[in-house]
Amino acid sequence: MAFDAATEHVAIGLAEIGDDGSLTMVAAVDFSAPRAALGTLLPAVEQLLQSAGVARDEISVVAVGRGPGSFTGVRIAVASAKGLAHGLGVPLTGLGTLDAVAWRFANREAIVGIVGDAMRGEVYPCLFRCGGGRCERLGGYRVAKPTAAAAEWAALDEAPTILAGNGLAKYSDAFRSALGDRAELADDTLWTPTGASTIAAALSERDEPALKTALVDPGALIVHPGVLLPVYTRLSDAEEAEERRLGVGPVNGVAGPGRGVS
Amino acid sequence: MAREIVSLTEASTRRAGELLGGILEAGDVISLTGDLGAGKTCLVKGAAVGLGVAETITSPTFNIMLEHHGRLELYHFDLYRLQRAEELDDIDFFGTTEAGGASFIEWGERFPAALPDDHLSVEILLGDDEARLLVVRPSGPRAEALAQTWARAVETDVSP
Repeated sequence: MAFDAATEHVAIGLAEIGDDGSLTMVAAVDFSAPRAALGTLLPAVEQLLQSAGVARDEISVVAVGRGPGSFTGVRIAVASAKGLAHGLGVPLTGLGTLDAVAWRFANREAIVGIVGDAMRGEVYPCLFRCGGGRCERLGGYRVAKPTAAAAEWAALDEAPTILAGNGLAKYSDAFRSALGDRAELADDTLWTPTGASTIAAALSERDEPALKTALVDPGALIVHPGVLLPVYTRLSDAEEAEERRLGVGPVNGVAGPGRGVS
Repeated sequence: MAREIVSLTEASTRRAGELLGGILEAGDVISLTGDLGAGKTCLVKGAAVGLGVAETITSPTFNIMLEHHGRLELYHFDLYRLQRAEELDDIDFFGTTEAGGASFIEWGERFPAALPDDHLSVEILLGDDEARLLVVRPSGPRAEALAQTWARAVETDVSP
């Protein structure tokens, strides 16, 4: 089972993964839940299991959207996932929220630019190479001003040709004016994860702790429910100033293990 | 440009809030400053009427944030009990103020960097008895327009 609640949307997917790695979707649901993930996520999980005729103890691994995204949405999803996985005694693995949006374009031959809303006038911009039923993330997670991210993308040889993500609700103008006709603005029904795309992103996750590890070695420490951490939103202003002062690495503004990137 | 609204009674402070509530739009943020008892909550009670909120408004001193349903969602914050700016994330401050409702923030001046670029600041100064002076300072184009419309609405208000 995989779910994500780091956007204004809740997405839950249930899939059967064969020993050969074959994937069969069993059930999926996604719905808009602005500021309402806390009250709706677990009841929806319960309902999905019931309607699919799947018992709780048939779940062998849980995967959760670690963000980056809404601070509160990430915390609700991760806390719920930890509770579920602990209670069921199964491993817990992560998936990238922006990745789960990108995977909706797995069958489009395109560079897909995902623009997540980081609040406070900023976005989480992230590029993916999609096509042939797959999506590959082309960089790490970071926080940027919309105009800066748009200008940066417009200057690339391989600029994005499809744009999606909930940050476009506020900042589509910045990206349209920088990229012009080169990029297609995806329909806003494609800006958030689905149950199927959370499963796909969980399987593709190149960051630790990966679903693939959990399937092969469910007892591995790295997939113990206590280990997983969220990719939190931006570093606090104080942390960012401190990092700049110390000259530690490139500041990408994202907090979390490895700054949200392996 | 700062504007001043004079209110001689608690009822007229509340009425000024009601007039403000009537013209608020999605995403508006009002920062309220003033001593204890100055009438910050009184102004919000009026705004709630203007927003069509049916519930009773109480001070969110201990809740930190209270949410009310009206024509727009009314988010009423009291940041007095927060110690550090990081705690703003804990209460989903940014997710809430950007959620398309109208936000009133008491003690918002404790975290000036957290207020959006475009917000309306209202300082309530104590006068004799129930008299109050509302000093209205807009910090962006939307807040400027709001302050102008509000001041005009108060000036031309004919209700008792």
